[in-house]
Amino acid sequence: MHQPMLALLYRLARYGLLTALLAGSALASSEKEFRVAVIGSSPPMSYIDENGKLTGFNIEMGHALCEAMQTRCDFQLVPLGKVVDTVAAGEMDFAVVSLLATPERRKKVLFSKPYYRSLSIWLGKPELPPGSPKATAAAVTGSAQARYLETVGWKMHAVASHTEIPAALAAGKANAAVVPMLTALPLLHDDSVRSLGLESTILSDPLLTGDVCISINPKRVDLVERINSAIDQIKRDGRFDRINTKFLPFRLQ
Amino acid sequence: MNDNADHSSAMASRLSAGRLFFRITAAFTLAFAGIVLWLVVDQHALLESMDTLQSKTLPSSIEQQRLARNLEVLRLEGERVLEARTPESQRQSMFIVMLMASHPSLLSNEQARNLAIETELFLARAAQNKHIDDSERVEWSRLSQRLSLAADDISVNGVNLAQADIRNMGEIVQQGRHKLHGAMLLVLVFLVFLLLLIRQLILRPLQQIDQALADLKKPSRSVDLPAYALRELAGVRQAIVQLHGMMQEHEQARDDLEKLASTDALTGLNNRRHFMLLAAAELARGQRYGRPISVGLADLDHFKQINDLYGHEAGDMALRAFADLVRDTLRHSDSAARYGGEEFAFIFPETTPHEAIVLAERLRSRLDALVIPIMAGQYVRLTVSFGIADASTQTLEAALRLADDALYQAKRNGRNAVILAATATQAMLPLHDKRDSSS
Repeated sequence: MHQPMLALLYRLARYGLLTALLAGSALASSEKEFRVAVIGSSPPMSYIDENGKLTGFNIEMGHALCEAMQTRCDFQLVPLGKVVDTVAAGEMDFAVVSLLATPERRKKVLFSKPYYRSLSIWLGKPELPPGSPKATAAAVTGSAQARYLETVGWKMHAVASHTEIPAALAAGKANAAVVPMLTALPLLHDDSVRSLGLESTILSDPLLTGDVCISINPKRVDLVERINSAIDQIKRDGRFDRINTKFLPFRLQ
Repeated sequence: MNDNADHSSAMASRLSAGRLFFRITAAFTLAFAGIVLWLVVDQHALLESMDTLQSKTLPSSIEQQRLARNLEVLRLEGERVLEARTPESQRQSMFIVMLMASHPSLLSNEQARNLAIETELFLARAAQNKHIDDSERVEWSRLSQRLSLAADDISVNGVNLAQADIRNMGEIVQQGRHKLHGAMLLVLVFLVFLLLLIRQLILRPLQQIDQALADLKKPSRSVDLPAYALRELAGVRQAIVQLHGMMQEHEQARDDLEKLASTDALTGLNNRRHFMLLAAAELARGQRYGRPISVGLADLDHFKQINDLYGHEAGDMALRAFADLVRDTLRHSDSAARYGGEEFAFIFPETTPHEAIVLAERLRSRLDALVIPIMAGQYVRLTVSFGIADASTQTLEAALRLADDALYQAKRNGRNAVILAATATQAMLPLHDKRDSSS
């Protein structure tokens, strides 16, 4: 008589506890998951690997940041040319895309503290130095490099992503390229590009060098501090350096 | 009135216990709070140091490690440039060398920058030559070693950055410990001071007061209590002194009353009531131990005539003169009392009736020889008749009755005489005899 009663009570207690726990965890994660903008087709920073998985330095860092902030993140692919506007419009909470924090972009979005500093590279045949009138430089739409080419008035062939550059070069649509330093690394390894015998030159214009930051929805001022401490944390606990080693031959600084 | 004012001003200049201990506690609390505040400031500095370590020093230390790592990358890529089989791979390595040598982070460190530029220039020159000669190899190995050493230096520097912070924190902790010890010492000193103060100002006075209160029962001239610093205890001391004074007064008053109650005012001898008490006690004692004891009654002869002739004042003087003679003549152990108008009673402890007769006879003869001055130029002479009785075997009343009988006998025999009463049984016999003879 007593045994089944006790069992019933026990079960009730357990369900009650479970319900309470669920309610508690629901409260704790009352914050919705973050919508995080990333770009594809930009190795080694973010790209689809041979298994069809989205990966790359920025992707893994994005995961590490979300983990450090103890929130879930929903990564969404956005073309590079639309990243700033999407984040500015609040469609995304933040973007883990290696964006140079240019004054023009600062007007639209908030920026985290820099997580590394970048340079831009001119890739061209030895007879086509930067700014040569015979050169047509490929650059990704919406990139700081494309903006620079427009500004200085050099001839440009706009492409949608960095992975299109080798094809553009091979097809002769462009005989040079202006890319961020990290993007230059796989390009120089690309067989079709290698055979072109391109030489690399560092472009030292302030528009093309400097701090690379995470761009943040301007309405989420609170996120700046959280993302900054998350960056500090993963830089301190070694996660940043592990991801660095996984995708890049040298330390990002 | 004046005394009171002095007293209250003295009291006002004294400290009340409550105020004294409040002041001490306040001083201690202030000192302790000061130290605690000091510790809090230290703790704040420690937290700040920790924060600096966490948010600034450690990150820049890690940045130094990254820089050192990049110098190693520079060295490795340099090796690859020199060892490259194909121009493409040489170009790729040269690209990374160039990136490293141009990167702002590396350029911000002077040692690294100079070395990186030197390395880039050397490698660019070497890459242009198809063949690398021995002198170039020697130069590269030197350069390569310098790169490694610079990487070591920068790495160690990075660690040392944190060490400075940690040393600083250690110093703060050490100081904090000293201050904590100081605070503990302060508490200890305060406690000892407080205990001493309590002992000095409260416990010892209390013991003295306790002793003084116990001593109040003993007859003493004054209260032996020192002046106290605390107002409350000074008040208690004052009260004890007053109490002692009052007790002394009461004692005196009681003694006076007792004397008044037991003495005849005119002669200073015992009064009859007191004599009866004394005599009863002596009688009980003598009979308990089987000791001899005698009583006597005396009556001044023809005293009424003095009153009648010279007035009561003269009579009183005569009575006083006789009392003086009694005091002068009797032994210390004997007691005398004024029994009635001119009648006196005596008790002679440790004295047989015959010895008592000798004493009484001495008194009688001395009075007989005495000339008593009563007024200017006037004198009277007095005689006394005595009856003595043995009191060792009967009650006081019975003995006095016998003595009275003997006194009566002396009067009848012509006064100025001492007659020993016959014992109860003996006394009865002559009476019987007399009755018998008269009848």
